Amino acid sequence: MPEKNEIILELKEVNKSFGGLLAVNKVNLSVSKGELRALIGPNGAGKTTLLNLINGTLSVSGGHIFFKTKEITNLSPHRISHIGIARTLQITSLFSGLTVYENIWTAVQSRKKFFNPFIRAFKWQDVKEKTESMLDLTGFKDKAHLVCSELSYGDQRILEMGIALSTEPTLLLLDEPTAGLNSQESMVLVKKMRGMLSGQTIVLVEHDMGVVMELADNISVLHYGSILAEGPPDEIKENEEVKKVYLGSEHA
Amino acid sequence: MFIQKGKSFGFILIFILILLLLTALPFFVDLFYQTFLTELFVWILFAISFDLIFGYTGLLSFGQALFFGLGGYTVTILIRKFGLNTELSLFLSIIIPILFAWFVGFFSVKLTGIHFVIITIIFAIIGNIIGDTWTSFTGGADGLTFSPPPFRLGLFQIDLTDIKGNYYFVLAIVAISFLFLRRMIQSPLGKIFISIRENEERARLIGYNVQRYKLIAFIIAGGLSGLAGGLYSLTLKYASAGYLHWSVSGHAVVYTIVGGMGTLVGPAIGVGIVMSLEHYLINFLQATDLVVGIALVFMVLVAPKGLVGLIQSIFKKGETSA
Repeated sequence: MPEKNEIILELKEVNKSFGGLLAVNKVNLSVSKGELRALIGPNGAGKTTLLNLINGTLSVSGGHIFFKTKEITNLSPHRISHIGIARTLQITSLFSGLTVYENIWTAVQSRKKFFNPFIRAFKWQDVKEKTESMLDLTGFKDKAHLVCSELSYGDQRILEMGIALSTEPTLLLLDEPTAGLNSQESMVLVKKMRGMLSGQTIVLVEHDMGVVMELADNISVLHYGSILAEGPPDEIKENEEVKKVYLGSEHA
Repeated sequence: MFIQKGKSFGFILIFILILLLLTALPFFVDLFYQTFLTELFVWILFAISFDLIFGYTGLLSFGQALFFGLGGYTVTILIRKFGLNTELSLFLSIIIPILFAWFVGFFSVKLTGIHFVIITIIFAIIGNIIGDTWTSFTGGADGLTFSPPPFRLGLFQIDLTDIKGNYYFVLAIVAISFLFLRRMIQSPLGKIFISIRENEERARLIGYNVQRYKLIAFIIAGGLSGLAGGLYSLTLKYASAGYLHWSVSGHAVVYTIVGGMGTLVGPAIGVGIVMSLEHYLINFLQATDLVVGIALVFMVLVAPKGLVGLIQSIFKKGETSA
């Protein structure tokens, strides 16, 4: 039995500089099991960079990243995936020429160890069953045969989350799932996310404050690469400093 | 979704019918056409091996000429200079190109896009220069001739200096290679190759070691290109530095694009069409390449998915309007 407040992700003094520019500056962050942590901050605050450091797309300039108690600093993205961290991107990233079914299948199949070149893929009964249950969960059962470029943009955003979930992650990193959606579509997505992602540990980068306030258990505010404030949504809403640099400027 | 069992059954039926037809053909056509068809089979093998790396994995490799040439030289030199038997020589015409593909691929798959294309061309050019200048070993541009001993496998024996025997031999190996590749494309490994073609970054994010699988595809394609080269020299009883020229890879590009990349059947059809076109045009036209070039431009503009893609889209339209 895992403890209730078991730490899943921990960042210690993480730095990232691009040339002379310090994009992430001594960030400490700790996310517990089952928590949905939102990362907010103005453009260029280093939110996406932070996700890139966690999943190994970028290497850190300093500091340490731990997953559960294991150090995962600078592991390559495919190894991070196998450790149990999945990721969606700000700009939709799918196997766009393949069907919805094949997209999910490819993700489910990734948990296998040996890829036999002499058997037909559809002989893998367990992968097939898992793919079908993922299609159920994500609500794509009726659209499974569609090539995913035929899906609506909102559906594509959901499918990408479905792909990430199909790798059975312990931690999910979501980079602006509502990017490019209007507020109505965003609310549909949020509803969907509540269903699909319940109980999942998540780090969510998001611009839409409505979505953040609706979903987040805790919020970390990034400003010029540093954590400015941290706490539950109500607390952050009242925080004077946060208002000044972030909320104040956009939601006055 | 995935290829269904019904479709697979249809494929096997058509495949067997075509094989039967090709088996009967030597009794109806003269030796000239038997040789022509044998060469055509070899180029089909070369084209589908290229399609694995280009059409399925999304890597435009101009290095296939290097492996083709290596395969050709492996057979020629081992038989001519070392007196090795045909079986082992042909087997090594897969293994030696695989080792080279491993080496070339190790550096190449780290690069993407145009950089990958260029580095593979460079490796092919290096191979061509070595083949051209090391004349004591390769015969340079004049090449080397040889006479292969009969191919033996247990009690089975086939005389490759007999044109008809050679025809059946090449047909059998190309058919087996085709089935091998088709199965691999349908396999879990094939799904990884396709996912890399579709979106390399996404493939990496869901846990595939993209560089490793690119290298695996490159090695398998290299081995099969080598086998094509080996069969080509067995058919012509000859190999020269020209086999190593990077433009040989260009043939595969043309066949694959005309027929339809990422389909296996497409490149095979592409070989048939382009080679037949060249063959008939040569009677009244010197510049056959010009016509092939125009056909290629036409295909790229009108049917970027090749003939197979064109036919598929016509069928799809029929289905939806019906």
